[in-house]
Amino acid sequence: MHDRAVPGAKGLITVLVADDNDVAQRLCRRVLEKAGYNVLIAVDGLQAVEVAMSQRPAMILMDVAMPGIDGIEAMKRIKAQIPNQPIVIASAHSMSSDRERFLAAGADDILSKPFRLSDLVAIVAKLTAPK
Amino acid sequence: MVRRATPILAIAVVIALQTGLGLPPVLVFPLYLLIVLLTAFYSSRIDSLFCAVLAAIGVSAPAMLGGTSDDLAVPLLLAAVLLVVAIAVHEVVGRIRAEAVGAERMAMELQGREERLRITVEAAQVGLALVGADGGWLLVNERLCVILGRSRAELLHLTVVDVTSEHDQGAISEALSMLRSGDILRWEAELHQVRGDGGRVPVEITIAAVSDHPGGERVLLVQETDVSTRKRVEGLRDGLVAVRHTIVSATTWEQAAPQLLGALCAHLDWDLAQYWAVDTDLQALRLRQAWHRDGAAFEEFHNQSRRLSIASGEGLLGRVWQSGIPAAQEDMSVATDYDRVAVALQAGLRSAVAFPVITGGSVIGVVEMLTHQPRMIENDLVTMLSTAGGEIGNFIRRAETAQALRRSEADHRAIFERSPIGIARISSEGELLEANTALLTMLEHDFQVMRSHAWPDLLRAYDQAAARARFSPLLAGISEGKSVQVRAGTGGGNWLWLQLSATSIPDASGRPEHVLVMVEDVTVVREAQDKLGEALESQRSANATLEKLDRTKTEFLSIVSHEFRTALTGIQGFSELIRDGGLEPDEVRAYGGYIFNDADRVNRLIGDLLDLDRMESGRMSIRTADVDINEVLSDSIARAGSSPSVEFKADLDPRLPIVVGDRDRLVQVVSNLVNNAVKYSPDGGTVTLSSRAEEGFALVSVTDTGVGIPPDEISHVFERFRRVRSGAAQSIPGTGLGLTIVKQIVEMHGGKIWVESAVGHGSAFHFTLPLAAENVTPLQRRHA
Repeated sequence: MHDRAVPGAKGLITVLVADDNDVAQRLCRRVLEKAGYNVLIAVDGLQAVEVAMSQRPAMILMDVAMPGIDGIEAMKRIKAQIPNQPIVIASAHSMSSDRERFLAAGADDILSKPFRLSDLVAIVAKLTAPK
Repeated sequence: MVRRATPILAIAVVIALQTGLGLPPVLVFPLYLLIVLLTAFYSSRIDSLFCAVLAAIGVSAPAMLGGTSDDLAVPLLLAAVLLVVAIAVHEVVGRIRAEAVGAERMAMELQGREERLRITVEAAQVGLALVGADGGWLLVNERLCVILGRSRAELLHLTVVDVTSEHDQGAISEALSMLRSGDILRWEAELHQVRGDGGRVPVEITIAAVSDHPGGERVLLVQETDVSTRKRVEGLRDGLVAVRHTIVSATTWEQAAPQLLGALCAHLDWDLAQYWAVDTDLQALRLRQAWHRDGAAFEEFHNQSRRLSIASGEGLLGRVWQSGIPAAQEDMSVATDYDRVAVALQAGLRSAVAFPVITGGSVIGVVEMLTHQPRMIENDLVTMLSTAGGEIGNFIRRAETAQALRRSEADHRAIFERSPIGIARISSEGELLEANTALLTMLEHDFQVMRSHAWPDLLRAYDQAAARARFSPLLAGISEGKSVQVRAGTGGGNWLWLQLSATSIPDASGRPEHVLVMVEDVTVVREAQDKLGEALESQRSANATLEKLDRTKTEFLSIVSHEFRTALTGIQGFSELIRDGGLEPDEVRAYGGYIFNDADRVNRLIGDLLDLDRMESGRMSIRTADVDINEVLSDSIARAGSSPSVEFKADLDPRLPIVVGDRDRLVQVVSNLVNNAVKYSPDGGTVTLSSRAEEGFALVSVTDTGVGIPPDEISHVFERFRRVRSGAAQSIPGTGLGLTIVKQIVEMHGGKIWVESAVGHGSAFHFTLPLAAENVTPLQRRHA
């Protein structure tokens, strides 16, 4: 059993944002920190896997198109180790076929880019809420 | 009886003598006259008349009895004389006697009156006295002795001036001199006199000139009333009035304190006052304000006071702080619990009183007052000081609140004035009351034009836009917190997109008093969005065409939309953050920068896509002309030469012939390759441009010492959106279309392009262009 809601700095809930785009990184960090989360950043798929394993964030916001291994592959590797790790795929691939593809690969939810900030906060809140 | 018998006997003796000796009436007449006179003096009227009749008979009887009628005349005359004398003398004596009795009675009456007057004077409730022309006391009553606290004997050796306070001596001396000279008959004043114990007593004094004394010297009647009770009550009342007056007219405690302490001292007759504030950090009383009478040397006392920190319960002040009620040190010389006894006595201070300054039930300070006179502290003074302490406390709290409000007001004013966002304050009817600098600058109007024209236009535009979006009009829908974007012209003739949002500011009772409208210039964001919208629209129409094409084209669309959406994520997210407000100016600037960069990237993306589209659909024509490749390469180095981080080298073949091509497109190819080389080179790297003539071709190479391309990506570098993103290259911006366009242009010229690369060592891009048919070199052409 994994205690997934690992408290980060100052006892905040930790969220991992995996995205290679630094504007997206800044945006997510700004919005989620303002909403009271501790935000970790991974800039590619391999780093996302590494941080997920070592830091055990409460949830992961995963971009798809990243250098090295992509978000889908990173998600599969993480889920293989931590099956109940909540992962939201945040992608600019927004065709319905993409959506089904991501859910089939094990995503807990999908956040289409560009997104409303309230949708971002809501989806993170939903997946970090204690069950 | 004896008295009444004596004259009769005497007359009988004379008659016997007269008869026996036969003396003539003339001879005995003197004897009768003597008896009648004596009787008339000493006996009653009847007795004396009886005596006179007997004497008259005695003197006339012998003649009447034995003589002739001629002889009768003299005796009868003598008898008549005796009777007349008796009556006359008696009348005179009676009158004198009556006068004597009257005089005696008057004297007794006078004596009684004087006694009553003395008792009255002594018993009078006012001090009464007579003083001589020199002012010396001649006569004083008991009450005056009590008022002046001196014995009668002591006073009789002093003058009125001697017992008058130093301050009033001049006035009373002058009055005495004028009374003496008769210039005035009466003088009244209120002044202080000095008691035997040195204390001062306020009196009402009347001095009147009394009419000339029998001795001839002019004396003065002095009447004195002790008005200390009345004075004290008046002082208490006036003191409280002065405290209230000061409080009403002052705005800060610092401003009010000296005036207030001075007024208390003046009205209550104290010499020095200090205000001690409770320092909540130190948990001690500290001297904050001091006041003393002019001229008095109390500096040392203040200085020592300033050095003190007084704890709760410690000394007079500490006790007042702890208990919250006034307390006094009536006699400093016997003080056992007073903190500055030595310096107080040295300054001649004898009594002290202290009262708490209270607000909201807690003591925030203590006022101490001292005087150099011994002072009894009456209950009404304590009551008055308690009242004053409460009012001062409430004032201090009000003043502090007011000061905090003023500071807060100043802060808000600064925010309003300096905000980069336009802010308008409007009435609940929509009339513009105030506009900040940002708003006036944004719309390029002065305030008058803004109020009369631009603002009403803006409100109308808001309401129309709101109606389209099914929102309430601005004034009706403030509580909804909506924001609306409107198009507005500026005074300078520009058109802006403005985002308006309104907030109501309630008054004290909660009713909306006025409305603040935030006006943000969102032209840049809006135009970027509009441009993107147009681009997406064109993309959508392209989509219809692409659907007819193969899967590669579908995938291309997916990639393009992915690229757009990635850029839009930043644009939309950060513009939403800005729109929602609450950001620091630095953040707004930074986010605007992200939005600008991504919008710019999207714009370039669109340009590149349109270029590619034109090339691929064959709609782009090549304008052919003679082009000197070496010149293009040199120009490119010159343009890129501003980059300080990379060193440029040129290895150009001077014999390279002219090529035939579109010079602008070839410049685009070279600058794309050079930009890529610079972008992927670390600081201190080298970018080398070389040209060489091959068989029928010009060979151009752009070589860098940059990060290199991984082997698995090298075959894809000319594909759309195949940017090298791994490792150190992942943060390098670009559209991912540059090399695709380069390849297209080179191939349109009939050339080829390829790349050699090693990760960590660098990359070399080579392309060829067919030489012109004539094979002339630029040198030859220039000489032709």
